[in-house]
Amino acid sequence: MVMSAKQVQQFVLRYLDATNCHLIEKSPGHVIVKLSPQADRELTNRPYYWGFVDRTGTEPETMKFCFIFDKDKMPPLPPDPPPGPGYIAHRLLKEEVTYGSRRLDQFFQAAKAGGSYVNLFELPNAEQKSSNFSTPYEQWLGVNMKIEFACDMKREEIHALGISMVTGDIIEQFCDNMLTRKMSPRLPANVHVLRSALTLTKARNQLESYIEKKIRTYDDEWAVEAKIRFDDEIARIDSYYEGLLKTEDDEIKKSVEEQYANRKQELTWQYEPRIRISVMNCGFFHLRSVAKQ
Amino acid sequence: MSINSATTSRSKQPSAPIDFDRTWFSELEERTAKNGPWDDFTLFALNYEAEQSQVVSTFDELQCLTQLNNLSPLPHQIETATKVLHEMRGRAILADEVGLGKTIEAGLILKEYLVRGLARKVLILVPASLVLQWVRELNQKFGIAAVAQKKEYTWHYDVVVASMDTAKRDPHKDLLLQNEYDMLIIDEAHKLKNKKTTNYQFITQLRKKYCLLLTATPIQNDLSELYNLITLLKPGQLGGVSDFAANFIVDKRLPKNEDQLQSELSKVMIRNRRSDGNIGFTKRFVKNVPLTLSDEEMALYNGVTAFVKDRYNELNGDMSSMLSLVTLQREVCSSRDAVFLTLINLSKKMPEDSPIHAKIWELVNMIRQIKANTKAEKALELIEEMNDKVIIFTEYRQTQDYLLNFFRSKNMVAVPYRGGMNRGKKDWMMDLFRNRAQVMIATEAGGEGINLQFCHNMINFDLPWNPMRVEQRIGRVHRLGQMNDVKIYNLSTSGTIEEHIINLLHEKINLFELVIGQLDVILERMEKQDSLEKRLYKMMLESKSDEDIRANVESIGKSFQDIAKTVADNEPYIQDAPQEEAQ
Repeated sequence: MVMSAKQVQQFVLRYLDATNCHLIEKSPGHVIVKLSPQADRELTNRPYYWGFVDRTGTEPETMKFCFIFDKDKMPPLPPDPPPGPGYIAHRLLKEEVTYGSRRLDQFFQAAKAGGSYVNLFELPNAEQKSSNFSTPYEQWLGVNMKIEFACDMKREEIHALGISMVTGDIIEQFCDNMLTRKMSPRLPANVHVLRSALTLTKARNQLESYIEKKIRTYDDEWAVEAKIRFDDEIARIDSYYEGLLKTEDDEIKKSVEEQYANRKQELTWQYEPRIRISVMNCGFFHLRSVAKQ
Repeated sequence: MSINSATTSRSKQPSAPIDFDRTWFSELEERTAKNGPWDDFTLFALNYEAEQSQVVSTFDELQCLTQLNNLSPLPHQIETATKVLHEMRGRAILADEVGLGKTIEAGLILKEYLVRGLARKVLILVPASLVLQWVRELNQKFGIAAVAQKKEYTWHYDVVVASMDTAKRDPHKDLLLQNEYDMLIIDEAHKLKNKKTTNYQFITQLRKKYCLLLTATPIQNDLSELYNLITLLKPGQLGGVSDFAANFIVDKRLPKNEDQLQSELSKVMIRNRRSDGNIGFTKRFVKNVPLTLSDEEMALYNGVTAFVKDRYNELNGDMSSMLSLVTLQREVCSSRDAVFLTLINLSKKMPEDSPIHAKIWELVNMIRQIKANTKAEKALELIEEMNDKVIIFTEYRQTQDYLLNFFRSKNMVAVPYRGGMNRGKKDWMMDLFRNRAQVMIATEAGGEGINLQFCHNMINFDLPWNPMRVEQRIGRVHRLGQMNDVKIYNLSTSGTIEEHIINLLHEKINLFELVIGQLDVILERMEKQDSLEKRLYKMMLESKSDEDIRANVESIGKSFQDIAKTVADNEPYIQDAPQEEAQ
C-alpha cells in the first residue's frame, strides 16, 4: 500500500497543520513552511541547538523549508545565489518529499513520536446536546497491532482491534471506524463515563488471546519450509565442521568449536520461524455508542 | 510459495512461537495512572496511516522498488537482487564484471531487508578510497542513512561504511566482534582469498546474518581462493577442504567435474557479464583523427625529443627525473602551454651555472614561434561539425586552460572539470554542462560523480598511457543508461610518440572498441614486474629509432593478447550457471 504523490502531500500538510507550522507559500506541487518548535525538534535533527534553547531559554529560531511534492505542478522558485560566502545561509532549503525519501520517513517518525497514546472523547451530536440528561459514554481500548511473520523472509499484517472496557466485546478495524468520528481530548459537558468492568491487564490478555487464536488458523507452510531450509543448512555445516574437529591440536580445536557455534547461532538467527506481535499505537476512546458490525 | 493470510481450518500447534512485545502496555499504564500526557488525534491517525502504507504484505514481492526515486535499476540488477533474496537467502557472492552495477545490486538487497525490518545493524567494509563513494550512493540512490566510520562512536550507527584496514585493527576489532550484524557487505572481496590473512580470520569471526561479497574477479590464480571465499559465506557448500580438492581440482587452475562445480557455484554466486546480451550497452564508434603538425610545432617536438634524450643519457636512467622528461615529451603533443610550464619548473631546479638553461631557453624560443595549436583547431572543427554535447579529456591542466580560452575566443561555451575541485563545484560544473554548455573539458576521469549519460561524444585530446585510465574515461560516457551509440575521437599527431601509443591502445589492445571485462586482471598479470606505463617510458627514452619503437609496441601488444586469452579461458566454468539454475 504505497502512498501516491498526492497522498504524500496530504500527509505532510496534515502534519504541518497539526503541529502549528506556518505556511508561507503553497501550490499544488510544493509548500514553503516555517516550522513550529515541535516540528523543528522532530524534523531538523538539531539536538544540540534545542538543548541550548532549553537550557538558556533563548527564543528559538526555527528552520524554513521548501518541500516539493511535484515539480511539474509548481511555479518556478527564485534561483539560488551562486556558491560563495554566505551561500549556505541565504539559500532556501529545497527538498523533494516522495514515497521512500528520507524526509518522508522522518515525517513518519515524527507522527509516531507525537501520535502513540491517546485519550479521546467523542464530540456530542445534536440530539445529545438538546437532551436534558447526561449521556453515558463507554470506554474502549483501541490497539493497533503489527504482526510479523519472520524467518529469513518476512510478511506483516496490521490488526486494529478495539475492546469495550464495559462489555469485553472485541471488534476489528476499530481504528478505521474511529477515524470517521469527531473526537476531542476533553470530556464534553453533560456526559458521564460508564464504570469499566475490565482491568487494563485483563483487556490486554483478551486482545492477545483473540489475536493468537486467529493466527493459529493461518496456514503455516512458510514456517514449515523455513524449518526445512534451516535443517539443510545445519546439516551442511555439521559435515564441514565435523571434519575439522578431528584435529589433535587443542588450540585449533577450540577455535574451530567457537566458529562452529557461531555459525550455528547465525543460522538460527537467519532461519528460525517466529511471530512477533507489537503495538504501533493505542489509546482510550470514549464513545456514545458503537456501531455493531 | 506465496502465502497470504488465507485461513485454512487446520488446527495444530503453530510451527512458530508467538512473541508479544508488551512495552506499549507499561507505557499506557503509566500514562493512565498520571492521566497523561496524551497525544494528538491527528498525529495518531497519521501514525496509523504511515504504518499501513509501509506494511509488507507478502513474503516475496520486492518492496524496495517503490521506494527508489533517484534510481531505476536495470532488469539484470533486479533479477540478481530477487535471486539473492529468494533463492540464496541473503548470502551470496556478487561477481558481475566491472561496470554492471554490483553496488546497485547490493543496495537493492540491503534496502529490501531494511524495508522489511529484517536488517537494521549493517556493516559495509570497502577499500578506504571507496568509503565516501559508498556512503554517498547509499544515501542518494537508496535513501539509506549510511555513515562513514570516522571516530569510535560512529560504530554505533545502524549502517556504517568503513575500510577493512580500520575495522580489523584494535580497538575497533573487539568492538565489532562483540556486535552482531544483520548484514555484512564486503566490496573488493577477492582480497579475502587467502585464509591465513588477518582480514580473512577477522571476517570469519564476525557474527552476521546476511552477507554479500562483491568482487569483479572471483578467481584470479587459484581455485582454492574461490573455495575460501565461499567458505566465508557458507562453510561446507563445496564440502570440506579435502573433498573439494578431490572432487573439483585437477591442477590449481584447472577444475574437474565442471558441471557439478558450476551447479554448486550457482547456489552462492551470481556473475553477470557484458556479453550476456540482456544487458543494454550501446555501440562504440572509434575514430582516430591523424593530424599533421605545423612546421613550428614539429620543430618544437623535435627540439624537445632531442633535449629529453640528451638529458636521459646524462642521468643514466635515474627513474625520478625520468618522469618529468617523459611528461615533457608527452606534453609537447598536447599544447605548448603545458610544455612551457614544465620547462620553467625544470629550469628552476637547475643550478644557476648549468648549461641546461641555455638549452631550455632555446626551446622556449621555439615555443614563441608557435602561433596556432593544430589540435585545438581540429577539435573545434569536430565540435562544430557534431553540433552536440561533447566531453574533451586532456591530461594537462595547462592544456585545459588553453582550450577554455581558445574556445571562449571562438564563442564556444565550455566548462572545466578537475579532480581538485570540491564536491559542490564539481556538481555545479556538471549542472552547467548538462543545461548550458556544449563542451566540458576534463582533466580527471576517475572517481564517480561524472556520469555523463546525457553526452555521447568524447574527444581524447591526448591519451593517458595507462589503459585503465583510458577505460575509465570511456566508462564515464559509455555506461549503463547511455541511450545512444558512443563516438570516440582520438586526436593523433603524426610522426610523434602519440602515434605509437594510439597504435598500441587502439590497434593492438583494441581498448576502444572492445569492452574488456577483466582489464584489471589482465594488467595485474602483465605488470608483475613493471607497470605498462613504465615500460612504455623506458621504451620511449631508450629507443634508437622509430622502427625500434614499432617493434617494441608490437611485442607489448602480443603479450597483452596472450594474457587476455588465458584470463578468458580461465573463466568458462562460472558462465551462464546462474541463469540455468534460476528456472
